[in-house]
Amino acid sequence: MPPRTTIINTAELHSPRLDPFVLLASELDYLRGNLLRLLGSAHPTLHQLAQHYFTNPSKQIRPLVVLLFSRATNGLGDGWEQKKWIAECERVSGRHEELNRPLTRPGVLNDCNPNMSDDTASFQSLFSLQTPQIPPELPPLPLSYKTDHTPILANPPIILPAQIRLAQLMEMIHVASSLHDQVANDTNSPSDGTGNKLAILGGDFLLGRASTALSRLGDDEVVELVATVIANIVEGAVWKAGNVGTRVVSALSSPAQGWNRYLNRIYLGSASLLAKAGRAAVILGGSKEGEIWKEIAYMYGLHIAFANQLMKDVDAYEDDADSFKAGPTGPLLYAWEDHSFLKPIIERQLSEDGDVEHVRHAVHTSSGIERTRTLALTHAEKAREVLRFLPDSDTKDALRELTIRVVDQTR
Amino acid sequence: MRGCYTLCSRFGRVPSIQNCRRRLSLAPLSNHSSTLSQPDPFALVASELSRIRTDLVHLLGSAHPGLDEIASYYFLRPSKQLRPLIILLFSQATNGLGRDWPLKKWASEQARPGGRAENLDEPLSRADVLNDWNPNLKEKTSFYDPLLSLSLPQTPTKLPQPPLSAFDSSERTLISPAFVLPTQMRLAQIVEMVHAASLLHDDVIDESPLRRGSLSAPEAFGNKFAVLGGNFILGRASAALARLGDPEVTQLIASVIANLVEGEILQMQDVESPDGQAVPSSQVAKNAWTLYLQKTYMKTASLMAKGARSAVVLGGCADGEVYKEIAYAYGRNIGIAFQLVDDVLDYEAVEDTLGKPGGADLQLGLATGPALYAWEEHPEMGPLIERKFSQAGDVELARSLVKKSAGVERTRALAVAYATQAREVLQSLPEGEARAALEALTDRVIKRKS
Repeated sequence: MPPRTTIINTAELHSPRLDPFVLLASELDYLRGNLLRLLGSAHPTLHQLAQHYFTNPSKQIRPLVVLLFSRATNGLGDGWEQKKWIAECERVSGRHEELNRPLTRPGVLNDCNPNMSDDTASFQSLFSLQTPQIPPELPPLPLSYKTDHTPILANPPIILPAQIRLAQLMEMIHVASSLHDQVANDTNSPSDGTGNKLAILGGDFLLGRASTALSRLGDDEVVELVATVIANIVEGAVWKAGNVGTRVVSALSSPAQGWNRYLNRIYLGSASLLAKAGRAAVILGGSKEGEIWKEIAYMYGLHIAFANQLMKDVDAYEDDADSFKAGPTGPLLYAWEDHSFLKPIIERQLSEDGDVEHVRHAVHTSSGIERTRTLALTHAEKAREVLRFLPDSDTKDALRELTIRVVDQTR
Repeated sequence: MRGCYTLCSRFGRVPSIQNCRRRLSLAPLSNHSSTLSQPDPFALVASELSRIRTDLVHLLGSAHPGLDEIASYYFLRPSKQLRPLIILLFSQATNGLGRDWPLKKWASEQARPGGRAENLDEPLSRADVLNDWNPNLKEKTSFYDPLLSLSLPQTPTKLPQPPLSAFDSSERTLISPAFVLPTQMRLAQIVEMVHAASLLHDDVIDESPLRRGSLSAPEAFGNKFAVLGGNFILGRASAALARLGDPEVTQLIASVIANLVEGEILQMQDVESPDGQAVPSSQVAKNAWTLYLQKTYMKTASLMAKGARSAVVLGGCADGEVYKEIAYAYGRNIGIAFQLVDDVLDYEAVEDTLGKPGGADLQLGLATGPALYAWEEHPEMGPLIERKFSQAGDVELARSLVKKSAGVERTRALAVAYATQAREVLQSLPEGEARAALEALTDRVIKRKS
């Protein structure tokens, strides 16, 4: 087996290595506990989901990236003072955490609009016109806050409650997508009614809560970003499935087209979420239009997601797993570039006897696996490149460490 | 019967459901309307409604042909479009009345977020960040580009600032001729999208073979892709919502997305029948009814109520003004009326007129109005409801008990009560064609056969 090449800037070899999961351990524990409680409180039927989430804990990479980028950039954006002020006002007014409120018990209706309270008594009669309310206004930013802003990292590092909520809701969206991914497509299979229903309702429940929480972050740009993540995830799943419905996806005609589709699939299925989550976190910290901070977050998330997925696709070939159904991945695409005889096999989606063995053999005797690994490592290096635009901090070290972890094959 | 409702003003005592249920006669609603022929609410906004459908499908385009197909599937068949109708009518019935109407009117003519119709598709983040490629919107969306690298963002363009006249505080009057803002049109589409997404999921959960007279989406595409199609529509709807630029509206509609699923979960809640084979005690009956009406609000009325409220907010109704309360109360009451009639039709109608199989509720184990009323007359219904009609013969027995009882008639009467209440709250709005159409709608909801 060829030696593994590593691509690390030699100057960084001696930078401190800081475990991001340790740095943010208490926040991650808090988030995990919240999600478990939320799933557990929903309905006895959904308890099973809590069980499942408990026994199959997620690595929480998505919330981690949100929290890390918050910590690494809070203070730099032009709008930081305002965001900090708003968070302080909310804290003082005792705003309660809508996101984690357990599902309604029969006694209290769970209507998620702050201007309209509702309880079961209101269903004892026809609904009558309510007195209009004027919600309290936030006090304005005090004049003592600086008007011209110099980008300095908040010290000690802070994470805003809004950013923690964002981390939570990104994880909820991820868990919801995983649940929906498990729904059995075949309507004629022996009725696994409970299985499907649970997965659908559980996912919907999480998506519903996430949408509500998202809207309450009060930032349209962030809402739009996360909304496109939801749409992207579906597109990724559909591209992975190939043909759905009556209209047929055109067959691949060249390695270049294969690469386009493959990279697009990775973007839609995993990179979009990670990139936009980091970007949204930085926006919530007050980064304004024209500043670079959110661009850094976006590119970082993009590159580590690609690094991670490419490495997973390498593992899939090395484990001899049957991973061809979704379409050719890196190793096969590289092999195809060298061996045009693979074209008809790929076109017919490896459907004939002997195809799978042919392909496996071609990949293992070509440089496909090694080149894919190199590509993964290149992406990890690109993530480190964009990090250099951030001011130094221990969070930045942790972010750098994460770029090494996502391609670490001993994980 | 009139005395039951008309004097119940917004601060007066409203009779309890229990009392109403016993005192109601079966006289039809239209007895107390004037003898003028009622306007056709759909006709008043017919051209807007048809534009809504065609433009809506435009928003759902995807590069993947299968997803493109699923997303537009339910929109290609005729639908009642009740929710967009309510939004359009409420817009017409209240535009001009809100404090901030001049500001909203000014904004609708600007090239800015929440402005002109064509600006409502402008992304708030750069297209090459969003990558929500839509082949129908080639200039405003983009496809992931592997060559994308870190770029210094452009300096932001300054948004046009409103002139002083946009803050005009003179007396507010209803706009005439009736006018709908581009944002309100877009809201109508968003609401329809949220509704369609919930139908996609419901049809999978309920294992429905038919919808609107054709194969349901799960039958046509499979369970998983019907679910994913719903999520895709929700994602696109939420992005469109953000582009309206109104945080209050974003929160309202987002909360509906949560309401829909939480209503579904409420529906799974067990109805307790601790009295065994007795007629339900008033507390047990109250609990069962509360659960049923809560579920009905969450699953059906919430979207109409908050949609109507959102329309009025987009028209410039400020906090403290009554117009959005009127909209909410109307939507809530008419929504419940609508669902009650739906539940009655499930017992009465035949497949042809409904477009979906009748008798579905019992098969799904659901105890709706007619069953709950029947329980009060026939104690043996209790255990059936408690075990969700799961034993062999339960469904048939329940159906015959409902038929023997006054369950259907009483549910219809309750629907009439809610519809009348919806009509009542409208009285606080200035008279006009749109208000008359909203009144006529309360009648239609009751009289429909499908």
